[in-house]
Amino acid sequence: MRNVLTSEWIKLRSVSSTRSTLAVAASMIVLGAAWTWYVRGLAEERGSVQAAAPEEGFLPLLQICLGVLGVLAVTAERETGFLAVPRRRVLLLAKAAVVAGMAFAAAAGILVATHALSRLIAGDRSLGFEDAPLSALPAAALSATVVALAGLGLGAVTRSTAGGIASVVGVLFVLPGVVAYLPSPWNTRVGSLLLPNLAPQIAGERISRRLGDGLLPPAVAVAVLLGYGVLAVGAALVSITRRDV
Amino acid sequence: MPYPSLVGVIEVRELTKRYGGTTAVDGLSFRVRPGLVTGFLGPNGAGKSTTMRLILGLAAPTSGEALVNGVRYASLRRPLHEVGALLDATAVHGGRSAHDHLLALAASNGIGAARVAEVLARVGLSGVARKRIGGFSLGMKQRLGIAAALLGDPGVLLFDEPVNGLDPDGVRWIRELLRGLAAEGRTVLLSSHLMSEMALTADHLIVIGRGRLLADTSMADLVGGHASLEDAYLSLTASSVEYR
Repeated sequence: MRNVLTSEWIKLRSVSSTRSTLAVAASMIVLGAAWTWYVRGLAEERGSVQAAAPEEGFLPLLQICLGVLGVLAVTAERETGFLAVPRRRVLLLAKAAVVAGMAFAAAAGILVATHALSRLIAGDRSLGFEDAPLSALPAAALSATVVALAGLGLGAVTRSTAGGIASVVGVLFVLPGVVAYLPSPWNTRVGSLLLPNLAPQIAGERISRRLGDGLLPPAVAVAVLLGYGVLAVGAALVSITRRDV
Repeated sequence: MPYPSLVGVIEVRELTKRYGGTTAVDGLSFRVRPGLVTGFLGPNGAGKSTTMRLILGLAAPTSGEALVNGVRYASLRRPLHEVGALLDATAVHGGRSAHDHLLALAASNGIGAARVAEVLARVGLSGVARKRIGGFSLGMKQRLGIAAALLGDPGVLLFDEPVNGLDPDGVRWIRELLRGLAAEGRTVLLSSHLMSEMALTADHLIVIGRGRLLADTSMADLVGGHASLEDAYLSLTASSVEYR
């Protein structure tokens, strides 16, 4: 297993797509700073504003980038990889471990940097997000990591880069949009269980203006989030062991 | 390895593979022995590549079994030390350098970076080791695939159409490489449609058509009274050609 982990780490770090997806993810820091600069200007005109915290507002950008990273990690596998490691479960679990590790490290670094830089720019002005709970940071990092694993699972099941990425977009952006228009209270009931809506519930914040507060207590939201990760890796395992390469 | 007598042997027993209603391999049995280059011949669609994929665990047989050194390929923990294979040379990630591609494969089998440099030199790719594979010609990709097959210094080697895309110099190089590997006592299974090249390289031949065994014989016996291997092959497979 250790050899296979080393091998997967070499595979992930040696493709340019990893650098590109992480670079786009890191643009969150710049966008967050620009956003804070902008609302700081508004606050100086009006006295105070109710703006969203950049590490929460730009979280979907981080999530989609890491989701794509997860898809590419599995769809980039070729038959040479299966020849070197014919135990496909071991191959996939090592891949999932390396993707999750890299996704969590990248997400944590980017989120902390975004948070720190925006608070530095905000100073002691009242921008609306100075009271945002610190627990939002680990919640966001964990959710971005699970999205990366979801990408891995969807890439393995669809066995296609385009199909995998389209599915990640569906899970992150299309599904929540559709569910929001279900009749109340079903929109909130179903919406509380959706992957992108779990991070705010873990941090004890409302999901959106339309859905309001989620129904899940933080601990349950963490469990559901981890459940998504297990489900994604499980689906990938089934897909990769049942089919011919 | 359970039986010493099975070391370096590829054994295919009553192997069958169906895809939906299509039978790609149909009750195929043969044995490939060490110390020889065994040519694997058959018309397009005869099931050569599928048979190789079944031997290498990339596809699961519908029935029957394929063993290498007496065991299924999928049960090998460090397969590159026992079996080297080149199937589709273009099935590599274009965004990785030749060195990193081989390093990842090597690491999974506990093989070090020194061996990567060694095989790159052996196939003549040292100068482009840090270049992206995406920019390689087909011939360079074939050389890279051969380097991957040689990584673990295996006793059993399978090559599917390795000559495609190689220049005349490369064709001669691979012929001498394969003959050298067999002379060292290794088992070499080689598929190719180039009869003149096969006549120069192989000692033994396995010919299949429509997924079934047509011949398993020495080069001399197959060519027999015919003017060339090409004539012998065409008369043997005349009734098995599917696409004409």
